[in-house]
Amino acid sequence: MRGDELVPRFLGEGDHPWLRLLLEEYDRFVGRPQRELDERVSEPLDGCAAFDKQRLAAFVLRRLSRAGAKSAVPPVRARAVVFGEAARRLEPRENILASAAASVDVSPNALEASLFADLPGERLVAALERPPSPLELALRANLALAQGFLARASAVKIEMEGNARAVVRHAKLRGLICRVARLAEVADATMEISGPYALFRHTLLYGRSLGDILPLLSWCRRFRLRADCVLHGRQRAFRVASGDPIFPASEPRRFDSRLEERFARDFKRLASDWDVIREPEPVEAGGGLIFPDFALQRRGDASRRWLLEIVGFWTPEYVARKLAQYRAASISNLILCIDADRCCDDGDLPPHALVIRYRRRVDAGEVVRRIEAAS
Amino acid sequence: MMTTQFRDGVQLTFDGGTVLVRSPGELEGAPGLLWDPRVRAYRAPAWRHGAVAAALGRLGIPCHDTVRAPLVATRDWRHVELRPYQQAALLAWEMSRRRGVVVLPTGSGKTRLAIAAMAGTRLATLCLVPTRVLLEQWIREIATFRPGRVGCFGDGAHTLEPITVATFESAYRYMPVLGNRFDLLIVDEVHHFGNGLRDEALEMSTAAARLGLTATPPRHGAAAARLEELIGPTVHELAIGDLVGGYLAPFDAIAMYLALTQLERARYDELIARFRAVHSAFRRLAPEGSWSEFVRTAVRTDEGRRALSAWRQARRLLAFTQSKREAVRTLLARHRDARTLVFTADNETAYAIAREHLIVPLTCDIGRKEREEVLLRFRAGELRSLVSARVLNEGLDVPDADVAIIVGGTLGEREHVQRVGRLLRPGPGKRALIYELVTPQTMEIQQARRRRKGLAPRVAPPM
Repeated sequence: MRGDELVPRFLGEGDHPWLRLLLEEYDRFVGRPQRELDERVSEPLDGCAAFDKQRLAAFVLRRLSRAGAKSAVPPVRARAVVFGEAARRLEPRENILASAAASVDVSPNALEASLFADLPGERLVAALERPPSPLELALRANLALAQGFLARASAVKIEMEGNARAVVRHAKLRGLICRVARLAEVADATMEISGPYALFRHTLLYGRSLGDILPLLSWCRRFRLRADCVLHGRQRAFRVASGDPIFPASEPRRFDSRLEERFARDFKRLASDWDVIREPEPVEAGGGLIFPDFALQRRGDASRRWLLEIVGFWTPEYVARKLAQYRAASISNLILCIDADRCCDDGDLPPHALVIRYRRRVDAGEVVRRIEAAS
Repeated sequence: MMTTQFRDGVQLTFDGGTVLVRSPGELEGAPGLLWDPRVRAYRAPAWRHGAVAAALGRLGIPCHDTVRAPLVATRDWRHVELRPYQQAALLAWEMSRRRGVVVLPTGSGKTRLAIAAMAGTRLATLCLVPTRVLLEQWIREIATFRPGRVGCFGDGAHTLEPITVATFESAYRYMPVLGNRFDLLIVDEVHHFGNGLRDEALEMSTAAARLGLTATPPRHGAAAARLEELIGPTVHELAIGDLVGGYLAPFDAIAMYLALTQLERARYDELIARFRAVHSAFRRLAPEGSWSEFVRTAVRTDEGRRALSAWRQARRLLAFTQSKREAVRTLLARHRDARTLVFTADNETAYAIAREHLIVPLTCDIGRKEREEVLLRFRAGELRSLVSARVLNEGLDVPDADVAIIVGGTLGEREHVQRVGRLLRPGPGKRALIYELVTPQTMEIQQARRRRKGLAPRVAPPM
C-alpha cells in the first residue's frame, strides 16, 4: 500500500525457491489427510519472507488439487449406521462399533476410519494431474491476488487495444453500465464500467462481475486497468496492466455464437475473393464506439469494404438508431442482419438501409449478392 | 409548477435495483433522485420508488411508471391460526402501515406469523432467510398453507413464483433482477442487516410492505436506525421471559464452573501473556481501536502474528478442556433418555464429541440430504442427541429437545438467545434443562456474563 494506491505484491522470480518447496511439500503429503498438509503449510517455508504470499500460493494450489475421500464404507452410510446403533442401545462404545461394523461387513477399525473420511480436512491429498511449475504457480497466485482486489471494486476504467468487444459484451450481459469513449493515440478504446447502484454508494455488489473482466483482458494487445476499491473501509485505487505477471486465462471463444461462426464459414466458401475480418476496428460514432461483428474486404481493392452487424433482439427504433449512428460516423457501407423471429414490433424499417432478415441462419449468399450488386 | 416541457411526462423504469427516471427537463425536489451522467437520466434506489412517484405527483408531473411488475399472487390461502401474541404482532404491523420489525423469541412461531402476513395481504412476497437450511424449512411450511409451488433462490435453485424464498446471499446477487417483482418483503433474522453488509438486498427492492423478524434486534446506533429506515420501526416485542411457562417451556439454567488442569492453566497463562504483551502495546497507542484494527496491525509483524496465533490457541484450548470433556461424558450419561443438543465453540470440538460419544455432528460440512435425514430421524426419536457448532444456532426447526449442553460459544448474547430458544418448544409437563460449561479465571467468564443478558423479559410485570 502506498498512499491511496494499492500496490499488489506480485510473486516473482525471487519467490520461486519457496514455491518449489511448497510443491515438494505437496508431493510429500499425497495420500495423507488434507489437514496435515494444511497444518504444514501454515508454518512459514524456508526462504519465504512474506507469509501472506505463502498463504495465497497454498490456497491457489489447493484449488488446483482434488482431495478425494477413500473409505471402506461410504462415510454417509457409516454415520447413519453407527449413530443409529448408538442411539438404539445403551452400551459401551466398542460394542456399538463392533455390532455396527458387523452389519456392514467390515472391521470396527475400518468403520471408525470411515466415519468422517469425507470431511474437508480428512480427505486424502491426491497427486496433481499436471503439476504446475513454480512460475505457473506464481502467475496463478498473482491472478487470484488481482481478482481479490477487483472483487472489492465498484468501478473500473480500462484503456485497451483489441478485444474491446468481448469486454463490452461481458459488461452488458452482467447488467453493468459501460461507457465507451475513444482516446486518440494512447489506445484503441477507453471504457468505464460500473453497476447502476454505484451511483449511490461505493458498493461491492459488482465486484465479482468486474473481477471476471480481468482474464478477458489478457487477450488484448495492450491494456491498462484502474479500479476503485474499498479496503478496510478506505477507498483506494488498484492498477493492473498488460505485462503484469498474471496467469492468462484460456483464449476467449473466437466467435460469439454459432450463428456468426456459421456465417463466416459460409461466406468464405461463397466469396473466395473477399476477406472476412472478425471484430474489426471499432467505429467512432456520436461520442461513443460501435463494434461491428465483421468487416468484409474485397482482396486487392481497398475501396470495397463493408461492415456487417448481426442483431438479435431489435425494434424498429433500435434499428433506426443504429443506422443513424453509422450515418453520423459517415459510414454507408453497412449491412444489418436482423432476426426475423425476434422483432418485438413489425413496424416499418428505414427504407434506405441495407437490412437482411434472417431466420436461424444468416444467408451468406444473399450478403454476397448484395455487396456485389452495390459495388 | 409544471412547465410545458413536462407535458409528455417522465418515464420511470426499473433498472438493476434502481428506478431510472428519464425526463425531458431538469427535476428538482424529488427525494433521493440523483443525476446519472453515465446514462443521462435520473436515478433513485429502488426502495425509494414510492417516495419518488409521490413527489413527482406533487409537482404535477405526469409519470409513465412501469417500475413495478409484481407477480400475480394466488388468493387461496388456507386459514392460518395464530396465538394471541402473534395476532397482536400482526395487528401492530398492519397499523404501522405494513412496515415494521416484530421481535419474538426463537420457537414462538415467527414463520407462522410471516405466513399470516402473506395470507392476509395476498401480495406477491419475497422471503429472505439467512441459510440454506432455513430455505428448505420455510418452503415446506409455506406449502402447507397454500397450493402451488413456492419459488426458491439459493442452494443452486432459481425458480420464481409469486411466493418465493431466497437466502440472503442469493437475494444480494439477484435483487437487481428480482427487485420489482414483489410487493411484500419479509426478512427473517433481520438483525443481520443494517450494518452496511449486503444492505443492498433490501435497498434494491421496490416492495412497499416490509416485515422484519428477529429475536435479537440491534438496540442502538446506526444499524438500528438503518433498519428502521429500510424495514420499519419495531412494532411488537416479546422476549423468552415473557412467554416461558405459557407458550414456551419453562427451563432451568445450570452453570458449571470447570477449572483447568494444572498443565492447561500453565499453557493458557503462557499463551495469554504472549497475546497481552502485543495487545496492550496496541491499546496504549490506540485506546479506541477495534479488534479488527488490532488484527490488521498485528499481522504485519512476526511478533504480532505470534500473538494472534497464541490467541487462537488459547481459544482452542478453552473450547474443549479436560474437565469439559469429563462433564460432557457425565451429562450425556445422566440424560441418556432425554433428547439432547450439544453446542460447541467450533467444528473441531463438535467432531471430537461426535467421535467419542457416537452422537451425530450437524455441521456445515455435512451435506444437505444427510442433514435433512438426520433431523427426520431426530424427530422420529431414532436419534437422541446432536452436536453442533453453528448450524443449530439460527431458526432451524429442531423439535422437542429437552436438554442442552453448552460446551462453548463466543458469539455472545445473540447466539445464546438463539441456542436456548431451541429447547423451549412447549410440551406437556416439559421443563427444559440447560447446562453451561464455563472455565473460571479465563475469558469465558466475561463471555458467559454477556450472553445471559438476552433472556430477560421485555414486558414489565403487572403491578
